[in-house]
This record gives sequence, C-alpha cells and structure tokens, in this order.
Amino acid sequence: MHEYSLAHSLLSGLLEHLAAHPVEGRILKVHIRQGELLILSEEALREAWRILAEGTPLAGSELEIEKVPVRVRCRACGYQGDARYLTEEGWHQAIPILTCPGCGARVELLEGKDLAIVGLTVEEDTAEAKPL
Amino acid sequence: MHEIRTGFGDILRRQLELAERNYELLSDRGVRAINVMGAIGSGKTALILQMAQRLRARGVRVGAIAGDVAGDDDLKRFQAAGLPSAVINTGDDCHLDAHRVGHALEDFPLSSVDVLFIENVGNLVCPADFPLGTDQDLVVISVTEGDDMVRKHPKMFAQTDVIAINKVDLAEIVEVDPQRLVEDYRKVNPHGRAVLTDAKSGRGVEELLSALGF
Repeated sequence: MHEYSLAHSLLSGLLEHLAAHPVEGRILKVHIRQGELLILSEEALREAWRILAEGTPLAGSELEIEKVPVRVRCRACGYQGDARYLTEEGWHQAIPILTCPGCGARVELLEGKDLAIVGLTVEEDTAEAKPL
Repeated sequence: MHEIRTGFGDILRRQLELAERNYELLSDRGVRAINVMGAIGSGKTALILQMAQRLRARGVRVGAIAGDVAGDDDLKRFQAAGLPSAVINTGDDCHLDAHRVGHALEDFPLSSVDVLFIENVGNLVCPADFPLGTDQDLVVISVTEGDDMVRKHPKMFAQTDVIAINKVDLAEIVEVDPQRLVEDYRKVNPHGRAVLTDAKSGRGVEELLSALGF
C-alpha cells in the first residue's frame, strides 16, 4: 500500500541527483536494493515507478530490484551473520527470523530494511562511450 | 549501454534518523513509548484504555496519541478516560511515520506522562516499515480476523516481540483456535511473547503488561 509513496521518494531523489549529476543518454534501468524484511510488493513498486516516471526524464525506465538478505548481530553471544530463515511448507515465503541462530536471544538488525538506488543502466546516443 | 554506479542514500534512512530523534526526545523526557499496531477493529484502543487504567492505578502517568486516517473518535475515547492525548490524522496515508509523530510530540505535554501509547493507523502491513522511535512495539490481532493472521503477515510478526491475541471470548463463536495463532507466532518469533486477551472484560491485560515489562 505504501509502494507509491516509496516509489515517489526514490523517483524524486533520483531526479534531484540527476539534475546535479547529469548522465548522457536514455536511462533504461534503475538498480535498487531492497531489504528482505521490508513488506513491499515488487510488482506494485515497479508499477508505481512506471506510472510516476511518466513525463520525467526517467519515463520508460525499469526498476531492477536486488533483494538484500537479512543480516543480524547478537549482543548476547556475539553471533554476526545471516539471519535464519523459516522455509517450512505452508508458509508463502521465506521468513527472516530475528532470533539468534546460536543462542536464541533477540538479535539486532544489520541489514534487511534497506531501500536504495545503487546504479543505472544507460543507453548512449553518442557512438563514443564515455568512460565513467 | 553502460552501467553507472550511483547512490544518494537509502530513502528509508531518513525515516530512521527521524525515528532516532523522536527516541532521544522521549528518553530525555523520561517517557517510555509503545507503538501499538494492528488491523482495523482488532481492539487496539480498548486494550490501551485497559492498560492505562491499570498502570494509573499503580501510579504510572499514561498518555496516548491516536493515529487515524481521519476523525477524532479514538482521541475522544482517550480524552474521556482522562488521558493526556492527541490525534494524528494522516490524510490518506496507511501508516504513521516518524516525521508526523515528531510534530505531534512537539505539542504533547510530555512532562505529565511516564508512558505514551502511540496507536498506529489500523493496518497490519505498512506500519512495520516505518519506525517511530518508540521503545517497544505491540501488535494486536483479534481471533475474529481468522486463525491464519500470522501466516498472512509473517514479517510483521517476525519483528514484533509482544503480541496480544484479543477477543478470545469470541474464539468459539468464530471457530478459531487461538493456539494456532500462538504456534505460528512461535515459529516466526521464537523469543517473542503472545498473550491472550479480552479487552472488554480485562482478561489477560495484567499478563500483557508484564510481557511489556511493566
């Protein structure tokens, strides 16, 4: 339900960034990282992006979504690493568990709630590609 | 075609920073805040009123902020109970966020409360992605929502350490076994605590307070 407001934040952030750091050529893809603990529908986010980008320099661009696995740290036993995931049958998705796989204490989140733009794929108009 | 690595920061980080600012303000003023989430009609307001009544009997000063898309019905309920209170109307947003809560805290009489319940917009999906800067989260579900509520919203329950399964007095009538909800919750949150409550009669409210550490 909040995909539109998040797509809007991503879009306005990127447009602002592009105004300050223009790129040559049409932007085909916008690469984003999405933490696996976020309750976001990929499909709704793409659709929101498609609609909101119309009439902007990002019209026609597509979101390329990379899922970021949940990483945790346990203050009780010092465990640091991937969260355990519940993958039992009957559950509709893999669920990250915020209980320490080592000692069973509540862990703190290191990664898994991110939503960030990390890169662009650009089609160049000019024959000569510009180095980055 | 070429790739450009860019990055202007995580758009949710701003939310996190605002939440941290709220957290600091609340802890500076010695206020413990609880973000109460749950679907429409799960009994969030009724449970807050029950907890407030018991805490006040122990000499704890309690306040409440009602988050709703529109209207002041919950605000009136809090006011009628004599709680320092405020309302945040989100317009059309499906969740509270740290920015709105921050503004509400600016005007709130924080010096006259020890505990502040912040009742989120009735919604079991979106509030989970927006931290408010509270000390604790509480999710309220009611048996009338069905025995598959945890399965339908697993990520919400995986990150909430205390839940109330409310309206247990109606469990038989709606043919829902609350134990199934408890078992599902254990799977997604082994260290969490689930408490069966009936906000109307007050059943389970003391236990819920103790699960929250009161």
